[in-house]
Amino acid sequence: MHDAHPSLPEFDYIKPKTLAEASQFLAAHAGEARPLLGGTDIFVRMRDGVWKDKYIIDVKGLNGTNGISFDPVKGLTIGAAVTMNQVSAHPDVKKHYAVLADAVDKVASYQLRSRATIVGNICNASPAGDTIGACILLGGVLNVHGLDGARQEPLTTFFKGPGSTALKPGDVVTSLQLPLSPTGMVGKYFKLGRNKSSDLSIIGVTVLGFPDETAASGYRIKLAMASVAPVPLVVEKVEELLAARPVTDETIADAAKAAMEGCTPIDDVRASARYRKIMARNLSQKALTEIWNQLGR
Amino acid sequence: MTNAEINERIPKPIGESKPRLDNREKVTGAAIYADDLQFGNGLLFARILHSPHPHALIKSIDTSKAEALPGVKAVVTGDDFSGFLGLYLQDRNIFCRDRVRYVGDPVAGVAATSEEIAVNALELIEVEYEVLEPVLNPEEGVKPEAPLLHPDLSEYKVANFIFPQAGTNISNHFKIRKGDVDSAWEKCTTIVERKFRVPHIQHVPIETHIAIAQWDETGEITLWASSQSPFAQRNLIAQALGVSQSAVRVIAPKIGGGFGCKAGVSMEALVVAIASKTKGRPVKLALTREEEFYTAFVRQELIAYFKMGCDANGKILAMENTYYWGGGAYTEYGVNVTRAAGYSSTGPYEVPNVKADSICVYTNHPVGGAYRGFGMPEMHTGLEQCVDELAHKAGIDPVKIRSINCVKEGSITVTGFKMHPTGLSKCIEETAKAIQWGQKSPASAPNKRRGKGTAIMWKAPAMPPNAGSSAWVELAEDGTVNVGLGGQDLGQGAFTVMAQMAAAALGVPYESVRISSPVDTRYSPYEWQTVASRLTWSMGNAVVNAARDARRQVLDLVSEAWDEDPENLDIRDGVVVSYKSEQEQPLKNLVIYGLPKPDDQGWMGGPIIGRGKFMPTYVTGLDPETGQGTRSVVHYTTGSQSVEVEVDLDTGRVEVLRGVSAFDVGKAINPALVKAQMEGGFVQGMSSALFEEIKMVDGFCQNPSFVDYRIATTTDAPSDLQSIIVEVPQDDGPWGARGIGEHPMVPTAAAIANAIYDAVGIRMTSPPFSAEKIYLAMLDAGIVE
Amino acid sequence: MAYHKITFTINGEPEQIDVPSNMTLLRMLRERLGITGTKNGCSAGECGACTVMINGEPVNSCMILAVECDGSEIVTVEGLSENGNLAPIQEAIMESGGIQCGFCTPGILIASQALLNRNPNPNEAEIREALVGNLCRCTGYVRIVEAVQEAAQMV
Repeated sequence: MHDAHPSLPEFDYIKPKTLAEASQFLAAHAGEARPLLGGTDIFVRMRDGVWKDKYIIDVKGLNGTNGISFDPVKGLTIGAAVTMNQVSAHPDVKKHYAVLADAVDKVASYQLRSRATIVGNICNASPAGDTIGACILLGGVLNVHGLDGARQEPLTTFFKGPGSTALKPGDVVTSLQLPLSPTGMVGKYFKLGRNKSSDLSIIGVTVLGFPDETAASGYRIKLAMASVAPVPLVVEKVEELLAARPVTDETIADAAKAAMEGCTPIDDVRASARYRKIMARNLSQKALTEIWNQLGR
Repeated sequence: MTNAEINERIPKPIGESKPRLDNREKVTGAAIYADDLQFGNGLLFARILHSPHPHALIKSIDTSKAEALPGVKAVVTGDDFSGFLGLYLQDRNIFCRDRVRYVGDPVAGVAATSEEIAVNALELIEVEYEVLEPVLNPEEGVKPEAPLLHPDLSEYKVANFIFPQAGTNISNHFKIRKGDVDSAWEKCTTIVERKFRVPHIQHVPIETHIAIAQWDETGEITLWASSQSPFAQRNLIAQALGVSQSAVRVIAPKIGGGFGCKAGVSMEALVVAIASKTKGRPVKLALTREEEFYTAFVRQELIAYFKMGCDANGKILAMENTYYWGGGAYTEYGVNVTRAAGYSSTGPYEVPNVKADSICVYTNHPVGGAYRGFGMPEMHTGLEQCVDELAHKAGIDPVKIRSINCVKEGSITVTGFKMHPTGLSKCIEETAKAIQWGQKSPASAPNKRRGKGTAIMWKAPAMPPNAGSSAWVELAEDGTVNVGLGGQDLGQGAFTVMAQMAAAALGVPYESVRISSPVDTRYSPYEWQTVASRLTWSMGNAVVNAARDARRQVLDLVSEAWDEDPENLDIRDGVVVSYKSEQEQPLKNLVIYGLPKPDDQGWMGGPIIGRGKFMPTYVTGLDPETGQGTRSVVHYTTGSQSVEVEVDLDTGRVEVLRGVSAFDVGKAINPALVKAQMEGGFVQGMSSALFEEIKMVDGFCQNPSFVDYRIATTTDAPSDLQSIIVEVPQDDGPWGARGIGEHPMVPTAAAIANAIYDAVGIRMTSPPFSAEKIYLAMLDAGIVE
Repeated sequence: MAYHKITFTINGEPEQIDVPSNMTLLRMLRERLGITGTKNGCSAGECGACTVMINGEPVNSCMILAVECDGSEIVTVEGLSENGNLAPIQEAIMESGGIQCGFCTPGILIASQALLNRNPNPNEAEIREALVGNLCRCTGYVRIVEAVQEAAQMV
């Protein structure tokens, strides 16, 4: 950052006409080519000199990347090029995946959300990614086009470390697929930043819950956290605790404590590990209580 | 103006909230800022190579590879320029010569035909450093074993009211020794002692520093800069280059915010220096936002020790304050912050016994310059919390203790200066009333706590005793008016109020007055700098004097033509009228062509051109050992702020629910603009209280970008901000006016801290009062688990 | 470095231009077209001074490549008024005193107009949320918010 380029360093912008062309180019220039969606991460890092790619491959508009569609069997498919504002405003998102809309609305600013994409947020794989928790908890799966053709990558195994994913050279993510959400599902994203809005998260908590007779308590309540681990973190223990016994203020408190114990935050310029850990508990407490209230305690 | 004159009718449009005269060009995108100026294909682009070390000797610089890069037109280093820069202390070279003193110190500069080539050229410059141990903290810097940043301190030219200490890192030490503090403590029934640490923050103008320089073949220099101080820049750059001030022309287009960082000279000298080698081609240097954070001026850091005591009646008897200012790598400007904090070191209180030491220390940190408030926000942040603590400990209401001790007309201030009439007591009363002081309102939820806090302030314009203003007024054939001045409109509305004052003093409609802008030192009259909240008062006086001079010329001419006593004549709405004969004559034509003599016997008069100046003549020196003197300052603007906050017990986050400001501005020339300063200053103060800090670790700034240097956004700023104007006239201000630009930012952090204490009982001794700091403090105090 | 021929409309006028790959829309506007109302405050998508409308949506022009704007309709602050008649938001912000140095103003006006286009009667919270990506250091935002409220009433 001390040597940030005044604008952007030099590179070649490539707009491939097909997915095959894109994958081939990316693979052939592995290490010096990068796919472009919204650009909100790429341009910042290129200015800072962190990424020095010679080729920027605009994959917006390739087959399957545009459009957001809801199917009563398959669920929701969000094209890679669909902006966050488009996602948030979509009636089917608001209706069936409100937790995702809630998370989207807390990202940066309206201007940034006119460009930022959910798929881009996922592929950037920052542990602070605001929308990733919702996508994981919703059972999201990425549709990927690679050198070997199309495949799927479930989000549960997608994240390897900060900025590191299961993607290989030549891969282009075309869309995110969210299965049908269970009946009666509610969810919300709670974000703590340094100031009230627009910040990166010091910590983010995504909670969703739905009635489920296979659970002893009658409910499945799931929790994921941002900025507390090298990857977006799902705390399985929370779901276990709240499924095993009836949901009460005590079990919620236990679950919040489990969230705190399950995370491994670091000290960084934004916050200390100590504060993050305690906020993991406090924010989880708040989130779980609110979701439980919505589920109709 | 005497009080008698002030009490006469106040002419329109003084006191009216006239619309800004630059509104339209700003909403249409037509307003021209420095980066909007078009220079054609000949323009070159500059980039600066910055020191990567907080403290190091420069062993060698090899620029040969950079010079050989096609498209590079000039590469310069400190070897090319031996002159010194500095406003109060000349401790800075244009480019570093033998030593770098902060990460960001300019080591070399390149001009090339494109920005890309300039960036590449920097990478080809090879510099060999010998790393030295840095000074990272002013308390460390004063120790005898501390590394010396400026071994040649004794050789620097320095203003006669600044006292650097050779052989140390202390570039100024201001002392107050008044009364007898040691025996005063014995008479105090309550004493409070506290240490506060206020970190560096940056001004964060939304427009970064931009400057373009060009030399012509005769050696005349033109500098276009986003600037608060065209004349000071002319002067300091001319001195540093060893050329005449008249050979340096500074043009100041619209400026996208300054807050002090575009005063004095910083990066402007770099681009002028680079342009000296480009054979007449203009060179532009635009700081990136990152460079703005760590290479441009910042606000000093302050480590302050307070000790104060009061008697059983709440009368403050003594203060012992020590201020260690982290001035950064160069303190050419900051030495006066130290002094200003010294001569105002008690805050706005009458304290009979004072021992104060305000010490400016070199550190290997970014350069402390002038920042809105000039030491007062930093100082009041701790001082006003101590007064609160004193009140609590003594069992006296915090607003009451302020009313008892605040300066009033005739109070003897810390330097012995007798306080002029001031509305501070009224300000305190107003903000307490508006915030419903003493009434606790219920928190909005069970996990929140509410609190109210008050802080008061004072500040005088900090400047040399002989800082001057000048202005001219001329008219066109149709009677419209053109005002020449040398100050800048930073957004505060200076041009608008000057037009109002010229209109009032001359007798023409506001709409017929134009300000001659952009300020251009070749054509505009001299103005010291646009800082210190001095323009309304000082430049206002000059403009009024110029307008009155023009008015006199007009009335003298018409009185001769009508054979009437000028005492019976007036100018109203652009028309000369006689109250005796009821004759009328519009200004049209007579202001250029004069008036005909009777019987076609010739003409009298000629082009009317009024001139005016203002320079205070009464500021005296202060004793270097005691800080006492007859008149330390021109005047003080005083004020009060009260806030209500709510603290979230689950996160520590503070929400400022509402704020009330009351300031004594003497006379609000344009009330809407005065209130706008109060609103903007409050939010900037709130932002510095809750979010802002240049995080320095081992001399490296950790957060040089908006991502991690947070400032208040729309959702942080409260919607309930009340601004109250108090008017106790200043004897020598235009219609009694005094400045307001800086003051609304001064007490805010302290008011918020006092409110936090009221809410949760935690004393915040170091801004920013982040949610984390508050939560962990509550945790450690057992308030939360 | 590759160059690209692009066409677009800017404030209703069609343009065609050759731009290098790495040129942002902001740079193209300011340096190639001389349309300087849109400002550069950070080049990092944080301050909003560079906000323009692309196909009706407010975007930080420093965070989008010119080449990506091929075929787009771009509106800058210069395009808010028609034949010298100012838009309600422009009149309102002058009236409310929401301008000081003016540097954030173009971005604020575009973001505000975009808000009013999608939500003609926003409440205060919605206004503040919509403008959270526009930093102002001078005004404290009070009179800016008032301006948007007033503009909503004016239509």
